[in-house]
Amino acid sequence: MTRYTRLAGAAVLLMLASAAMIFIYAPEDYLQKEPQRIFYLHVSTAIAAFACFAVVLVASGIYLRKESAAADRLARAAALVGVVLTTVTLVMGSIYAKAIWGMFWTWDARLTSTLVLWIIYAGYLLLRSLAEPGRQAARFAAVVGIFGFVDVPIVYFSVTWWRTQHPGPVIVTDALPPQMLLAFLVTMACTLFLAGVMVAIRYRIETLQDQAPAGAPATVLAQREPEPAR
Amino acid sequence: MAVARKDLTSEWRTRELVPALGQFVVLALVIANFGFQIDSRNATTIAPGVLWLALVFAGLVAFGRAFAAEREQASLEAMLLTPASAAAIFAGKAIAAALLLIACEAVLLPALALLFGTPLNVELVVAVLLATVGMAALGCLFAAMVARVRAREVLLPLLTLPLWIPFIVAGGQAVQVAMGASGDYNQAVALLVDFDILFVVLTSLAARFVLDD
Repeated sequence: MTRYTRLAGAAVLLMLASAAMIFIYAPEDYLQKEPQRIFYLHVSTAIAAFACFAVVLVASGIYLRKESAAADRLARAAALVGVVLTTVTLVMGSIYAKAIWGMFWTWDARLTSTLVLWIIYAGYLLLRSLAEPGRQAARFAAVVGIFGFVDVPIVYFSVTWWRTQHPGPVIVTDALPPQMLLAFLVTMACTLFLAGVMVAIRYRIETLQDQAPAGAPATVLAQREPEPAR
Repeated sequence: MAVARKDLTSEWRTRELVPALGQFVVLALVIANFGFQIDSRNATTIAPGVLWLALVFAGLVAFGRAFAAEREQASLEAMLLTPASAAAIFAGKAIAAALLLIACEAVLLPALALLFGTPLNVELVVAVLLATVGMAALGCLFAAMVARVRAREVLLPLLTLPLWIPFIVAGGQAVQVAMGASGDYNQAVALLVDFDILFVVLTSLAARFVLDD
């Protein structure tokens, strides 16, 4: 069992633990009933996605400054995980919205800016896959990574002034009963751990791909020592 | 400046882009007419949306072409060999592309007023011009980038459109108000100016990384 397998296993166990917190420990919401349980993972994945994009921003800045290949790999890994987490946030949010608001989508500030966030970083990944790998692609992607992160708060604040339906923050305003708060904090910690593990694994994959001679992934696979059977 | 003059001269001599863009935006209005049931009552609510759609896609075409000549003749490398800084070359390209887009707006806005019966006033023109500044800065940056990438026609809109959204949010509101909707025009225009300053500064900082090689 490699270090990565162990980490992934731990992440899965933690997510199962937070599922238990969400479905068994946390009380049912008086108004929203069962659908409220989506809240825990919906908000956690959103925060984890923002954390991933913050990593992309920092890594992109470092790359433009120092041209470090490691920073570029980190940006690539975090962008991919961030897009996955944003997708989860959007899908869960849509289901939650259908249950509570009666429709899957509304052009609310938070929803719109999250969708824009997803589009920007999906474009980032597309740029990475279409550009010839190398310094130029890394630089272009770093520029997109930085502009994307600047753009999202702007979209958020520019639309927030005239349309809003998504509820505001409930954690910092202390609006949650203690049991819900605990369930949420556990879920968030587990989700952040999961995101960290996914970035680490993806980073390892990017490293192996960078080391591999172009167009020969098979040789890398062949060189790997066989993993002992569990 | 010299770069901007060179681009504009070559456009003046060939006259290939502006007439095409002008026709393109008029076509967009014709299509909007068939897509929506436009009459005198709903024209002012539909017109702002049509304006931004036509402008955004005309912009993509204009900025996509901004680096086409350089790519086809590999003259960007020659320009980079001159003592001019990358930011200056980029600014020249952006100014030229912005002027081409403004020429296209000079067709779009009167055509819109004529065909949709919407007001054509100073507020409307100011809002559209302010949005053009920032859109040109961002559009040219990404056009320079995708000029060296495969599938650039697909990638340019994908990267540029989401980053243009702040301008469309603020510009959209300003245009709606200019056409008679209720709202705060001054706030929207102040936002446009803020975004212009922010993105012009950011793109000129980033130009070095995109053009240099």
